[in-house]
Amino acid sequence: MDFKESTFIYILALGIVVFVAGQSMFFLLKAWKQGKKLGITSGTMRNTITQSAIFTIAPAISIVATVITLAYSLGIVLPWLRMLVIGNITYEATAAEAALNAMGGNLSQPVEDKSVFAAAAWVMTIGSAFPLILVPILLKKIQKKIGQAVQMNQKWADVMSAAAFIGLISAFISRAVAGAGDEAVIGDGAGVLSLSALLVSIGLMLILQTVCNKFKVKWLEPFAMPLSMLGAMGAAMLLAQILPESIAFLEWRG
Amino acid sequence: MKSYSDKVHTWGRIWSVSALCALLSVPLLICVHMDVWPPMSGILKGLASVIPLYWTTSIAEVISYSPMLGAGGMYLSFVTGNIANLKLPCALSAMETAKVRPNTEEGEVITTISIASSSIATTLIITAGVLIFTPILPKITAPGSVFAPAFQQILPALFGAIGAGYFIKHWKISIVPIAAGILTLCFLPSLAVGPLIFVTVVSSLLGAHIMFKTKIV
Repeated sequence: MDFKESTFIYILALGIVVFVAGQSMFFLLKAWKQGKKLGITSGTMRNTITQSAIFTIAPAISIVATVITLAYSLGIVLPWLRMLVIGNITYEATAAEAALNAMGGNLSQPVEDKSVFAAAAWVMTIGSAFPLILVPILLKKIQKKIGQAVQMNQKWADVMSAAAFIGLISAFISRAVAGAGDEAVIGDGAGVLSLSALLVSIGLMLILQTVCNKFKVKWLEPFAMPLSMLGAMGAAMLLAQILPESIAFLEWRG
Repeated sequence: MKSYSDKVHTWGRIWSVSALCALLSVPLLICVHMDVWPPMSGILKGLASVIPLYWTTSIAEVISYSPMLGAGGMYLSFVTGNIANLKLPCALSAMETAKVRPNTEEGEVITTISIASSSIATTLIITAGVLIFTPILPKITAPGSVFAPAFQQILPALFGAIGAGYFIKHWKISIVPIAAGILTLCFLPSLAVGPLIFVTVVSSLLGAHIMFKTKIV
């Protein structure tokens, strides 16, 4: 049996699956109980669960794709396991490649040496573990400061809260408009497809929001965002098929 | 009696330390079980090329995400990962739909429920995906596949939907961070999303503060 996919490695991975699911269930139940105390309706909380689960499908599939990409070299279990705890699509591939390069290998060939495999596991783990030290130390202090600022001036705090929200989203909007992709990959940088996906998604969301508000279609509300996102992804797929290749895959930043 | 917020910090710290131990035990147990100990020089060389960027990014992420995700959401997100591409948009859209604001008790509850549900769904989908779709998924997501353009545009599609309502409602505040993001990318087109978020969030907060003081918003 391939050492990268031995029973032992599968047991390790299952242990991590149980840990992550257990932690999520713990916080979900505590938040649900607190929500009840605050008077948030069960319907609203159930909607949040449904919407979040639907929202997760497409990004999670792209995470599975990353796991499978890394699997050629590292086997299926280690990338799967890494994606479950502090996993990050861009980080894991970079860290694995850095570790393999340091040991004289790369991601385009299967790892046959146990020592190289273990080195990749160490680099991928230590490189990503820092937030688990930072968050417990810094979070309470940061949130205390935010809480004090909110109490001092509610209107100012509302504006700043909207600004922080918009600031976060703007990073991704900017990348769709002006960010470069991987030079070896066609269609991942800012270009016709990214801009089209962005505009279709904004357009669909505004239409669905109007429908929800104007015709009071309550049930549609939690689906508006996932539907807009999937619609925009479908539009990108369609444009790639019907437009000439030179236009559809045009990327102005490479 | 401890407040809910204090309790969340206590639980979060315990879970984070446990996650750190669980995480580090994986490579350690691999080494013990296989009886191999890779050379320290190889590990350090690999770490030297990832730590400067990712540890700096982690600091920026912790600072930028904490006003939005709430305490429970932060502790959960930083254990389960995939924040920028999944947990963050999920929590933001949940707050938008539930009509609650960040930094409120209701916002804290909704972000925690959203991120916990998303984490469970991700765990199930990745696990099922790994077990079931291993043979076919590379064909779906391969560069030449009909579906590839859809998967490449997940992020613009996600954030367009989340931002739509906000950009219309707060168009004045939106101009500064979008301009700052685009301008930064004009000079550093390959800048990773972590540092870029730091730039857009800081410029957005500064811009909004000035607009508030000058009564533009």
